[in-house]
Amino acid sequence: METLITSDSDQTQNYRFDFFGKGSDYFAIMIVNWLLTVVTLGLYYPWAKAKSLRYIYGQTALNDERFHFAGTGAEMFRGFIKVVLFYIAIIATYVLLLQVAKLPVLAILFLYLSLFAIVPFAIHGSLRYRMSRTSYRGVRFGYRGNRDEFVKSFYKWALLTLVTFGIYGSWLLMNIRRYTHQNIRYGDVEFSNNADGGDYFILNLKGYFLTAITLGIYSFWWQKDIFNYYIDNMRMTKGEQEVRCYSTATGGGFFELLVVNLLIIVFTLGFGKAWADIRTQKFIFDNVKMEGNINIEEINQTEEEYTNAMGEDAVDFFEIDLT
Amino acid sequence: MTNKIEAKYFDGQSSASQQTIVAFDETMNEFRLHFAAGTSFVWNLNDLRFEQYGHLLEIRNKNYSGALLKIDDKNFSQSFYVAIKENKGVDIHTRLLKLGFSKILAIAVCLLGLVMLAYFYVLPPVAEKSAALLPNSFDDQIGNMFMETFLDHNTVDSAKTKYLRQFASELNLKNEKPLQFFVVESNEVNAFALPNGQIVIFTAILENMQSAGELAALLGHEVSHINHRHSIKMLCRSLAGYLTVSLLLSDVNGVVTVLAENAQQLHSLSYSRQFEQEADEQGLKILMDNNIDPNGMVQLFDQLEEESEYAVPKIISSHPLTKDRKENMRRIIYETVYEVKPHNKLNSLFEKIKR
Repeated sequence: METLITSDSDQTQNYRFDFFGKGSDYFAIMIVNWLLTVVTLGLYYPWAKAKSLRYIYGQTALNDERFHFAGTGAEMFRGFIKVVLFYIAIIATYVLLLQVAKLPVLAILFLYLSLFAIVPFAIHGSLRYRMSRTSYRGVRFGYRGNRDEFVKSFYKWALLTLVTFGIYGSWLLMNIRRYTHQNIRYGDVEFSNNADGGDYFILNLKGYFLTAITLGIYSFWWQKDIFNYYIDNMRMTKGEQEVRCYSTATGGGFFELLVVNLLIIVFTLGFGKAWADIRTQKFIFDNVKMEGNINIEEINQTEEEYTNAMGEDAVDFFEIDLT
Repeated sequence: MTNKIEAKYFDGQSSASQQTIVAFDETMNEFRLHFAAGTSFVWNLNDLRFEQYGHLLEIRNKNYSGALLKIDDKNFSQSFYVAIKENKGVDIHTRLLKLGFSKILAIAVCLLGLVMLAYFYVLPPVAEKSAALLPNSFDDQIGNMFMETFLDHNTVDSAKTKYLRQFASELNLKNEKPLQFFVVESNEVNAFALPNGQIVIFTAILENMQSAGELAALLGHEVSHINHRHSIKMLCRSLAGYLTVSLLLSDVNGVVTVLAENAQQLHSLSYSRQFEQEADEQGLKILMDNNIDPNGMVQLFDQLEEESEYAVPKIISSHPLTKDRKENMRRIIYETVYEVKPHNKLNSLFEKIKR
């Protein structure tokens, strides 16, 4: 089952994704999740989430080796409690400003600003957590973004988006994508992304008008354009070696995926969501292709051991994943 | 006796795979990993975590960061599971999954059935009891909050309000808290009572009334809602119901949530039907105790029924007017001994309100 890969580093090769997940297996996991969540009055939720993620990761394989998600319910539960406490603090301050200090304008401003201010912290924290818990062939992923630098840039881009009445939004999104991707590591493999706000803006402008003209039909092709833009701009490098990603997704493919998923969910009153989720994953991994000359057998572990990742950084409120 | 099996190993330092021979005895308490280079080390069952994909086992050791042992063998996979289960290394989720699809589904259906039973038979009385724990000041706060915004958007007919208040003061409404009446200008055929003791009658419902008895019946009905704290009980019930539903659906998606929320509203409607009947009966009793002809209640229903031939009046959509309700009134009137006295003052006030 192991595909032997030539160690000739100049040799260009392709890499194959497989998604082995089955709707019925995933449905069984969801039912057990539901059972335990109800019995524990909802407290099981983080453990349930860990189980779903572990299944999806474990069923995803690259060149016949599976990915692994090592996150646990206990870790996510601690993160969940921290976030809840943080939200309570925000709401309490809001109520205090509103009821006691009688400053309604300030109270609402505080509420929106603090909820908005959280966003970059949440992006940073969840990426750090998710990447540190993901591994492949015994080698961990990692996210090395600098939190303060990212938060500062995020606020700057958000302000620009505000003063340009949203036009800068395309740049905001692509800048975030570039910054986060270039800080992802898989062992000594570095990720990068060439996405550009201008291209993305034009892509969406075109998508918007064509969708309006075709009464919505073009929306599937718009979706395809966005997905392909995301994938085609991704790249991995290891020294001189490089892997490029490209997508083979088509508008027709998206049409079939989304329409059938909708039908499944509607006609099963939502119980078929497990099958819809699995179809989506399969669609993604069937359409993402990689080509390059990095030898998949020669990657070295570089990311810190994850038991240490819960050290000082655990104070970080958002070192969890809630999505 | 020692068994040996070939396996693939990743050391957690690089992505290169190595071949290894895993040696273990029947108890499977420890695994000795032998490598071609002559090195070997021992993994203890206590330290192991595993993922099972068919017969393929991916075993990780908490003391060997990143390391991964892959064994693809049916017999090994089965004995390993038994050994690690005895060693308490299998969580409840995995154990449940191992039961197989049909058993999981059966457990889920049973649990769902239990929750539904609790939802329909245990929740309503418990929620009502908990309403008794809420202080009366809560009723007032809720009522005042609603009325403030309501009066911002509606005009009070002050002349009619004055006469309605005089009309009400002529009656013994058996109210436990002070009442306040309002006539509000509106084309909507409606009337409602708030938990703080405020009762609003819309001008449209007055227009078609034929007798003071009908108006007294309407007031009696609305006052009974307040006396029995119906709206607070409803609030407690739907709040408890909503919490239960959202807990149940914590892991299911939006479509089901929407369906469930609608179902929740339909359910509240049947709650309110039960309260309507109570208010009808208490209202009827108020009429009789005031020596007013109880048939005023039946006439009120007739009049609203007639109205609903053109368009469903608001009061009927929120207070479902069923045949049963009217029949119930007729039966009670028939079975009860009552005395009717002339009410000249009420009649003249009623004329002024009608004008």
